[in-house]
Amino acid sequence: MAHEVRTRPLPPTAAQAEATPGPTIMDRVDAVLEGLWHFLASMRFAMVLILALAFLGLIGSLIIQAPPGVLADPTGEQKQQWLNEIGQMGVPVVTWLHGLPVIGSVVPDLRYKDVARPFDTLQLFQIFNSIYFRVVVAALVISTVACSVHRIPGMIRTATKPRIDVAPGFFEHAPQHEAIVVRRSPAETRSILEATLAGKRYRTLGVESDGAVSLYADRWRWAPFAGLVGHLSIVVILAGGIVGATMGYRESQFTIAEGATLPVAAEPGVTIQLLDFTDTYDTRTGAPSDYASTVVLYKDGTEVDRHVIRVNDPLRYGDTTFYQAFFGSAAVVTVKDATGATILSEGVPLAWRTTNDNRPIGSVSIPGTDNVAWIYGTNGAGDTSIAPGQVRMEVYNGDGASVGEALLDQGKAGTVAGLTATFERESQFTGLNIGRDPGVGLVWLGSFLLFGGFVIRFTMPHKRLWARIVPRPNGAVVGVASLGSKEVALGTEFESLVNDIRQALAAPAGS
Amino acid sequence: MAKMSEYAFVAAMLSTGLATIFYFMYAVSGLRAARMQTAGAQMTAGLSLVSGPRTAAIGRYATMLGWLATVAMLASLVFRAIATGHGPFANMYEFSMAFAFGILAASMWFERRYNQRILALIALPVALAMMLYASTIPAEIEPLVPALQNNLLLTVHVAVAIVAYGSFAIAFAAALLYLIQPEGGRWGLPKPQVLDEIAYRAVVVGFPFLTLTIILGAIWADTAWGTYWSWDPKETASLVTWLIYGAFLHARVMRGWRGNRAAWLLVIGFGATLFTYFGNLFFGGLHSYAGLG
Ligand code: HEM
Repeated sequence: MAHEVRTRPLPPTAAQAEATPGPTIMDRVDAVLEGLWHFLASMRFAMVLILALAFLGLIGSLIIQAPPGVLADPTGEQKQQWLNEIGQMGVPVVTWLHGLPVIGSVVPDLRYKDVARPFDTLQLFQIFNSIYFRVVVAALVISTVACSVHRIPGMIRTATKPRIDVAPGFFEHAPQHEAIVVRRSPAETRSILEATLAGKRYRTLGVESDGAVSLYADRWRWAPFAGLVGHLSIVVILAGGIVGATMGYRESQFTIAEGATLPVAAEPGVTIQLLDFTDTYDTRTGAPSDYASTVVLYKDGTEVDRHVIRVNDPLRYGDTTFYQAFFGSAAVVTVKDATGATILSEGVPLAWRTTNDNRPIGSVSIPGTDNVAWIYGTNGAGDTSIAPGQVRMEVYNGDGASVGEALLDQGKAGTVAGLTATFERESQFTGLNIGRDPGVGLVWLGSFLLFGGFVIRFTMPHKRLWARIVPRPNGAVVGVASLGSKEVALGTEFESLVNDIRQALAAPAGS
Repeated sequence: MAKMSEYAFVAAMLSTGLATIFYFMYAVSGLRAARMQTAGAQMTAGLSLVSGPRTAAIGRYATMLGWLATVAMLASLVFRAIATGHGPFANMYEFSMAFAFGILAASMWFERRYNQRILALIALPVALAMMLYASTIPAEIEPLVPALQNNLLLTVHVAVAIVAYGSFAIAFAAALLYLIQPEGGRWGLPKPQVLDEIAYRAVVVGFPFLTLTIILGAIWADTAWGTYWSWDPKETASLVTWLIYGAFLHARVMRGWRGNRAAWLLVIGFGATLFTYFGNLFFGGLHSYAGLG
């Protein structure tokens, strides 16, 4: 349309001039949209995106990435601290490159301490959360969908409405073609041809025109759709990832000391009790050989499950899964109020480390008050401020102000903030990763479709064959042709098919 | 059994070394034959190395040695598995043995199927390098750390991975042979169409197997740690490898990407494969720091 308007030989009349601008703009918009569509659906664009994603992945595997917990901290404090830490260590940016003989001396000796800030600004420590990554992945999804949608009509046409009567010239110019002269009637030739192809599991379609018979035979005509499924499954996997990230629940630092019972936030009404944690080591090498947390789950007070959680053997309850993640020492403390009534008696996981002297530390709220007790453990033999067999207890009120502290010897009661506290003994805690991921089903479904789709696409290529039977005095000439790529290395399937056809046609009639 | 495994490993290493020498002699002899043929102006469009009777005999010996190496390597893996009670995934020693076996087996299989001896000339030295590397690692059998106590899943994961890695080594060999003579027919080497076909076939095997390797790895991570994907450097590197071979499968049907660029993607892809494989070493430093925070 736009084309017609421009090539109009005479200037438009006023009325025409009024009438034309509308369609012209619409046509332009159409043209632009169509161009955009073709661009998005083009393999060139897809290639650029795939390579861009690979490049981002390469960067992400070379440059240290901030742990998810650090990034999740809304205050950004943890990230600042993390940046300081990697800066202080002076770690070379690409350690292994410097270890290589020649390359090592060429690569600039960048250290994290010099580049931590600029790298952070460029989001290089969080490539997989970065704006670049999101843009590339989003573009890849759009491109994959556009490409698939773009190809579907043609694929359906190829599968359901193939061209049967191709031009005679095709039988001379197709990548693979062969001519066979037979001494049979065209009808007989056709039925032998069809029978031979059917024996090879090809379906055949035929039409007659001007006395010549055109045949089309194909096999696995639906298999190309498996390639489509393979492509779209990438979108399914990503959708699963997004569902998991937005609707899932994860508590990766759940700590519980031996003997303690704690509520499970992911499952209302459910509590978990740790009966025992055992870490076992190989006596010869000292390497860890087992981490086992024996737990009991209660729903509204009644036991519903009991399991020994190991690293490769999580506990599944409802939609929630409990994984063995880490462990450490705990301090069992007893706290009595002024009347001598025990208000607290439990193991406190010393799961954290103090920043200044890397000391194990844990906290527990004191029931019936706003107060929180912090328990500091020993750093081991040689620790002068808290010796083995001692813990330090500091109590803070709801406003964070200190209300008392004491160094407690194991088994001896001490007084802290008007309470009597005893460090009974050391025990252990286990660290569990408790998660619920509603997207994981989509991820496995997508993975299955991805693998299955590409396997089918590769093992069952759509094979197509055209034949044309032209009558001749005393017989017929059969042209056979295929578009298939020439498999030069192996005798091609086309050749063996033609051989079979030749033999079938040459066999004496009636046999 | 552990000792038997080591003997078989040494046997495999020796036969791989010898086979490499024979394949080299085969190539040189074929090259000479090709030159003589060209000089005799008797150009035939042979598909494979021009073979005189002598060349053919050397080639047969090379192939026999190659099979011997493959069988010895398999025996070594089987003995080792009997001794350890699990598949070859406990450490780099076991995994390098498996990788070497993957390359040997893929090399012999493709040679048989496509009648191209010359692929082994590139593939076997890679396998040999893997074995030499493995021989620098202590072969002691140690108990599995808790994270690796998932015998079935990890054995399948490794088995699938070595099929992928072996295939990619063949695709790499074909790509190199293509890149040194893109116009084809030089030094009696295979024609570009043949090399393209072999490379494609190899990737068509390797790509789904790599896909499965990554999926199984994700299933293991989900069972052991509760997250199927955490952008760990090794995971990320395997994804990069996967993307590069995905790009190759596209390149092969794109104008301007067929041929040279596609072959380069295979070379880069194999580089990424090795990078993924040795990831533990490269990222070793990073891994420990990544525990921060
Ligand atoms: C991460 C993204 C992608 C991956 C991993 C990928 C992977 C593959 C694989 C393995 C094949 C070979 C199997 C087959 O032919 O079906 C293939 C083919 C193909 N891909 Fe993709 N693809 C991706 C994205 C795209 C996009 C965005 C497009 C859109 C242009 C596209 C277009 C095609 C086409 C047209 C073929 C068929 C080539 C042929 O005729 O053999 N792909 N892709």
